[in-house]
Amino acid sequence: MIRALGLVAAVVAVALVVAACSATEAEDGPVVTVFGPYRGTDAARFAASIAPFEARTGIDVRYVGTGSLAADLVDRIAEGNTPDVAMVPQPSLVGDLVAMGQVIPLGPEGVAAVRANYAPSAIDLMTFGEKLHGVLYRANVKSLVWYPPAVFEERGYEVPESWDDLITLTERMEQDGLQPWCFTLASFAATGWVGTDWVEDVMLRLNGPDDYQAWVDGDISFDDPKVRRSFELFGDIVRTPGRVNGGIRRALGVLWNDAATPMFADPPGCLLHRQASFYRSSLPAGVVLGEDVDVFVLPPFQTGEAPPLLVGGDLAVGFDDRTDVQAFLAYLATPQSGEAWARAGGYTSPHTTFDPDLYTDMFDRRIGEMLVSTAAVAFDASDQMPSAVGTGTFWKGIVYYVQTGDLDGTVLMIEEGFE
Amino acid sequence: MTDHSDDVATGQQEGSENRSPGDVAHGVLTPVGSLIRRIRAPEDWTEEERQEALGELFFEGSEWIPYLKRFFTLIALSTSIAAFGLIADSTAVVIGAMLIAPLMTPMLAISAAVVYGRLDRIVVSGIVVLLGTVAAVLVGALVATVTAGTLTSTDLSGQILSRTSPSLLDLGIAVTAGMAAGYVLAHRKVGASLPGVAIAVALVPPLATIGVTLRLGATSEAQGAMLLYLTNLVAIVLSAGVVMVVSGFVPRHIRAIAKGHLTAGFVVSIVALVVISVPLAFHTVEQVRNEQLERLVVGSVPQWDESASVRSINVSTDAGRAEIQLGVATTGDPKPAWELAELIASGSSFDVDLTIRYQSELVDAASTR
Repeated sequence: MIRALGLVAAVVAVALVVAACSATEAEDGPVVTVFGPYRGTDAARFAASIAPFEARTGIDVRYVGTGSLAADLVDRIAEGNTPDVAMVPQPSLVGDLVAMGQVIPLGPEGVAAVRANYAPSAIDLMTFGEKLHGVLYRANVKSLVWYPPAVFEERGYEVPESWDDLITLTERMEQDGLQPWCFTLASFAATGWVGTDWVEDVMLRLNGPDDYQAWVDGDISFDDPKVRRSFELFGDIVRTPGRVNGGIRRALGVLWNDAATPMFADPPGCLLHRQASFYRSSLPAGVVLGEDVDVFVLPPFQTGEAPPLLVGGDLAVGFDDRTDVQAFLAYLATPQSGEAWARAGGYTSPHTTFDPDLYTDMFDRRIGEMLVSTAAVAFDASDQMPSAVGTGTFWKGIVYYVQTGDLDGTVLMIEEGFE
Repeated sequence: MTDHSDDVATGQQEGSENRSPGDVAHGVLTPVGSLIRRIRAPEDWTEEERQEALGELFFEGSEWIPYLKRFFTLIALSTSIAAFGLIADSTAVVIGAMLIAPLMTPMLAISAAVVYGRLDRIVVSGIVVLLGTVAAVLVGALVATVTAGTLTSTDLSGQILSRTSPSLLDLGIAVTAGMAAGYVLAHRKVGASLPGVAIAVALVPPLATIGVTLRLGATSEAQGAMLLYLTNLVAIVLSAGVVMVVSGFVPRHIRAIAKGHLTAGFVVSIVALVVISVPLAFHTVEQVRNEQLERLVVGSVPQWDESASVRSINVSTDAGRAEIQLGVATTGDPKPAWELAELIASGSSFDVDLTIRYQSELVDAASTR
């Protein structure tokens, strides 16, 4: 029986030894530090996407993700604690940093990779002061309308093909005693962006990519009839009593990621929700994408016209002109850099050369194909405008407009940001 | 087994602090009664004494009905007390419940039946333990129903949580306490220490925890408490049995006859113990890891922001990833989370997912009359 005791003791001892062991690793060799907005699962998938680069080059990429990228990045640069590379969702911030002389232009390897793998509109977005400074790594499509297909089928609603169809559908839903639209724009310190995205989407459809770009560049003012009309069309939907679930009070009080929750109540509290592809991760638990909810592209003003797409995305920029940093940026410009993430789901590639078969997720694939096949693609305007406007008076102004409908006052408020 | 009140009176003369006249049933259900009587008896085991000790563990014919009545009454009472104590988060009340818990008797009976090679008694005592277990879990759930709203599955008391994540330390406690129980039964002078054994390997509080957590829908916590209970059960049966054999409780001629059963009984017990050790080892590794990480986090905070102090911390690890929820109070401007995450990651082998809730150090006060 002493043997039995010995066995017990051995089991205990082995377990304690196992418990005491926890290895720490030490590595030498080149290290590239990367700072970005991906956290949790996204961070893990980003790291997996970079693993092939690390294996091939022996360069160790150390990633840190933050929930407050823009503010933290500016602080890091101010403190002299600049990362080697940052993934930045706001081209306007990249523009500011380029102007400050902080961002390195891409080297020959990166330039070649960008030329080989991107559409001209994307290359424009990565170009600051005549030179390529960033690499567009991950894209999202903003011009989507989320809707419940089963309810559409049951009530005989059809996906609209023009703006007029959309308004007719809206009116029909109202006549059926339903509130057509889901819309809320609260988003803590960033409250307003849901509304600015809306106006940008209308502006892009109504006036086309050229006027849209002129507006982004400041050549068309907010007081221009084209911009004013875009506000009014947006106002027609969200300010007409009965068209938005919960009315203006809910629109201002409820967080943007809860906006479409009433869509899945019985009977549905709203049936149409204009929001970007990333709304997917805000869908209520149990809602199946493709079954309970689907998307269509916000329609164009003319039937038969291909609707332009408003898109957003993350630009990778380097801050230290070293060969390992340049090699990493060049890697991000290749379609390979998104493969692992696309396989895991939740990634849309901006690379025209990305093999759509690599998307394991049907939704990612659809969004990816939309991006590649759409001729007219425009990047989020507010993210490109000077930040005093883009993340300042434009956000504040849109909230004021939703509240009051006072367009003259709104325009004045937004234009103040340019002064 | 005929004169219980006398047992108790003797026990009090012996000066046992944990016993009172209210413990009448206790004297019957654990071998304490005649253990204490042994104080006046010669040291050597006579067949009569052996039978008497066994008589406290095994029951024949008409003895069963009153025994089972007492057994289930005490199960119901001790589990209720334990469950109320757990919910109220009171250590003292939970210990009180341990002292009147009757489960040790049938467990020691299994040990004795194993060493005596009595398969029939193993089965009967096993059934008693099983029924007592089920009854205790039901009572725990009932108490949780009665006190509905006091706790939720995400807001359990410390007393409950401390019983939902057993480690190898608990196995060590159970093995040594089982030895003590076997020793006490075999060396009948040290009877007053049995309450100590009951406290060391509490059987009823884990069962009450299972009942309460199941009722609240906290399944993984219930599994943890179940593991703790099984650990205690297996370890007690095995180590008490080992000590019984080593201390000569079993007469030589019976040992010879029962050798086959004895070996089989021990093999089964040892296999059960090894099987139980596996999840315990995992739990232990995880606990040690989480505690190391928690120390690292707390140690990194002043380095990150010297004006910050940790107000709450919750660490969990899973496959190389550490999820850390931190409540931090600071007198200065809040420092960004990424800096702390990087500090923690550089000091450990984990990928870090960190969420910080900043708490204001501002103080405000008001009064009305």
